[in-house]
Amino acid sequence: MCDVCGCGHDHVHENRAVVSDDSTRRVVEIKKSLLDENERIAEVNRKHFDEKGVLAVNLISSPGSGKTTLLEKTIEALKGEFKIGVLEGDIETERDAERVRAKGAYAVQLTTGGACHLEAPLVHKGFHALEKQMNGGAPDILFIENVGNLVCPSSFYLGEHVRVVLVSVPEGPDKPAKYPKAFKTSNIFIITKSDLIPYFDFDVEKVKREALSLNPNLKVFVLSAKTGEGLEEWFNYLKELVRRKKGGK
Amino acid sequence: MHETSIALSLLNSLSELAEKERAKEVTKVRVRIGKLSGIVVDSFVFAFNALKPDYPKLGRAELLVEEVPSRYRCLDCGNEFEVETIYFPECTRCRSVNLKLISGEELEVVDVEIEV
Repeated sequence: MCDVCGCGHDHVHENRAVVSDDSTRRVVEIKKSLLDENERIAEVNRKHFDEKGVLAVNLISSPGSGKTTLLEKTIEALKGEFKIGVLEGDIETERDAERVRAKGAYAVQLTTGGACHLEAPLVHKGFHALEKQMNGGAPDILFIENVGNLVCPSSFYLGEHVRVVLVSVPEGPDKPAKYPKAFKTSNIFIITKSDLIPYFDFDVEKVKREALSLNPNLKVFVLSAKTGEGLEEWFNYLKELVRRKKGGK
Repeated sequence: MHETSIALSLLNSLSELAEKERAKEVTKVRVRIGKLSGIVVDSFVFAFNALKPDYPKLGRAELLVEEVPSRYRCLDCGNEFEVETIYFPECTRCRSVNLKLISGEELEVVDVEIEV
């Protein structure tokens, strides 16, 4: 993976053919995705995670949906069994990394300096920093907490095995309808702050139905980090994913 | 606003292409952007044009965007149709939601015109 670092890598322009030629102007056929460079590095990340037996989980949601709080609870519950690493994506500040470190995870803060999403090269650098923090070791589970935003992060594959989209009850029930791409590209959908359901017009079954109509393969969890409702199911599912990852290496 | 990072990444790869092809400058670049790609075309074009003067051979590069509509095929009646809405589409003939997406997620560079 280290051949990606320092940007000294070869940019291969395959599939390229000269289709027209006059004296000075030429058209060069490209036929490549605009996200090609990101995806190439994401694949390198993915390979590296696989080699080290790391389960990589990309968390996507609006700001304030409870990603970090759920991570804190998850770390508390699983740290006895697994080594947990976190890459915390934010526009600014070290705050979230400090929060999860306090719970016993290894953590690296990725500050994007204004960008509203994480990209594969930054995750690549961040994972190296995490390995250094772990004295060359690697976590069993790597949580990549994306920048709070339901739009842009869904376009950028980071090399993760599992993508999770979270929506908290106070945000309202129309998130799947308004941000279809986040739901279409995810594997897991978590409804957080379920303890607030009695106080909001949030029809859980309808939200689930809409999300599943966008993506029938979504695994759905409804939970509250405050009351603990639904957490056990989430922890068990994660454990199962890690076991499968280690077993199927 | 991820349009800016995608525009930057395009400019970087055009710059490399210009070097590799020993071009004097890049004059045109054609891209296809699908309606479901998550890219706002206006923001993308704005970012491209705002940033291109920073690149020696790209200052006059013209960005041509072909917007690709979202098209589905109905798996129940075979009807093919275009839709404006980006979520929960249904077949315009039989109202089935059992659909296959044919186009609309494109996000690609088609070709580049250079001056040599």
